[in-house]
Amino acid sequence: MPTLHIVRQSAFNSDDFAQCLQVLRNNDVIVFSDDGCYNLHHKLINTIDSKASIQLNVIDKHAQARAITIDESLYSIINMNDLVNLTLTTDRVITWQ
Amino acid sequence: MSTSENKLTAILNAKAPYSNAAGKDALDIALIFGSFEQAISLFFQGDGVYQLMQGQNGTIISVKDYLKTFAAFEFYDIENIYLCQESLSQRKLSVDFHIEQVQVLAKTEFADKLAAHHTVLRF
Repeated sequence: MPTLHIVRQSAFNSDDFAQCLQVLRNNDVIVFSDDGCYNLHHKLINTIDSKASIQLNVIDKHAQARAITIDESLYSIINMNDLVNLTLTTDRVITWQ
Repeated sequence: MSTSENKLTAILNAKAPYSNAAGKDALDIALIFGSFEQAISLFFQGDGVYQLMQGQNGTIISVKDYLKTFAAFEFYDIENIYLCQESLSQRKLSVDFHIEQVQVLAKTEFADKLAAHHTVLRF
């Protein structure tokens, strides 16, 4: 029953990502999109339990455009088509914006 | 996948009441669902918990006080109202709401309850 969380705001600017983490469950999927890509280097990212099997994804162009470095051992780099597919393979979508 | 008969919709409120229209928009949608006898659950998280706190009066700052309409939830059969305990304590608020049927849930219970819904609309 995974939930797809689309995170579109920087945690440096809003509480949205923190609220997303409050309701995050094992096996959920996160996509960092738009200013949400800045969260890759926010300290909150380290609070995600590595044992919780959370899938972390970043929209390629959104991170590239912002010159955000991506640790490819931690994040899958995806495009908009992949995002659409994720909406089909998960049970619900919550957009944090 | 579930059948359409038991699809559950949740509204996740995350904004304080008076500085934007998010809370009012969420309320309108909740009441429309209620009018058509469609099940709807309301969740309050983050600054959204301020919408439920007792003693508010928007008229002092010339804002139409939509919070008073929350009292009508019972007539619309909106009974599932959940609030995140962690958001409450982060804001040093105590359990003192202007409506009665609020269920305060710990973080994981709140997450589990939200995940029991098929559609989540966040305001």
